[in-house]
Amino acid sequence: MIAVPDVATLRAMDPKALNRLEKDVADQFMGGLAWGSALWGLGNLAVWLSLWPLTIMGILPLWAAFPIATLNVMLCYLPSHEAQHRIYAREGEPLFWLNELVGYLSTIPLVLPYQVARLTHYEHHTHTNDPELDPDIATKSNGPWHLIFKSIVNRQPGAKAGSAYGETLARLGTPEAQAAGLQALAAQLGYLAVLFGMAWTGHALEAALIWWLPRHIGVTYIQFYLSWAPHHPGTGKGRYKDTRAFRSAVGNIGSMGMQFHIIHHLYPRIPLMRTPAAYWALRPILEARGCDLERL
Amino acid sequence: MRKVLGGLFKVMPLLFGLGFLAPLIAQVLTLTGWALPGGVAPLAVGLAIGGIWGGVATLTGRWL
Repeated sequence: MIAVPDVATLRAMDPKALNRLEKDVADQFMGGLAWGSALWGLGNLAVWLSLWPLTIMGILPLWAAFPIATLNVMLCYLPSHEAQHRIYAREGEPLFWLNELVGYLSTIPLVLPYQVARLTHYEHHTHTNDPELDPDIATKSNGPWHLIFKSIVNRQPGAKAGSAYGETLARLGTPEAQAAGLQALAAQLGYLAVLFGMAWTGHALEAALIWWLPRHIGVTYIQFYLSWAPHHPGTGKGRYKDTRAFRSAVGNIGSMGMQFHIIHHLYPRIPLMRTPAAYWALRPILEARGCDLERL
Repeated sequence: MRKVLGGLFKVMPLLFGLGFLAPLIAQVLTLTGWALPGGVAPLAVGLAIGGIWGGVATLTGRWL
């Protein structure tokens, strides 16, 4: 491990030397195959899919399936997020198929197509906290309860926030973005077809408690911890100001590692499970740079 | 195609009310064993509530 000097020394360092030191420290946490996240994404999907036959055949009661399904939706985004940043493998590498497999499959419970998530997420990184260009800016809120309220309001049929990803894809205008738009349409129609089909064949409660309601709860959770909390108050601009470190009331696992999301924005190719270690290694540098590290 | 899909999504809350909420309400009523006045079928109640709620959501742009 590279030794990092104290904050006072770092503040007095030549900017170029500080940049080089920061990059060298960060580089130590990149590389290798993130097997844990890949298994998480595919295993989580397998559990969620198994809930359907298990409840329909009466093997698992619905009251037990509902919290499992809710957890599945809450858990399904991050493995795909790793794929969006090519953490498992890059184009041209032998395991790129695994990257794409996890990317495409893991967010099925969330009804968020991989390419839509990838392209809009890159725009979020490029324009974090920009009121016009950040596709996730609608989660900007005054506090946790305001975020929960806004998350529900943003999902109403006439809400402007509901079209943010579509508008981002239209603004990009590339063939890739157009294809992603079609995938979003197909996913939405497929989701509704399953809900309607299940409901009219006597399985409305299963559809409601394994997909519809868990998805609403999961979206609120994901917006809370993956979008709102790390960027609050949502006004900072620039590499060291647009994302913060924070101490979560539900701990690092309960917030799915998002306490250290600042590391992800600085170095998106550091795997999620290494961001806590990378944070502690980089913390003096972040402090010297004036980052918002709250009480963490 | 774009027009058809655009129109479909404009009335999606109404379709959701009839296509999903109606049978869901009917199934809940049946499971809870509520005796409806006049022997009204649970599905009729579901269609009425789901249709009205979905219709209002289509017009106002809000479910709540």
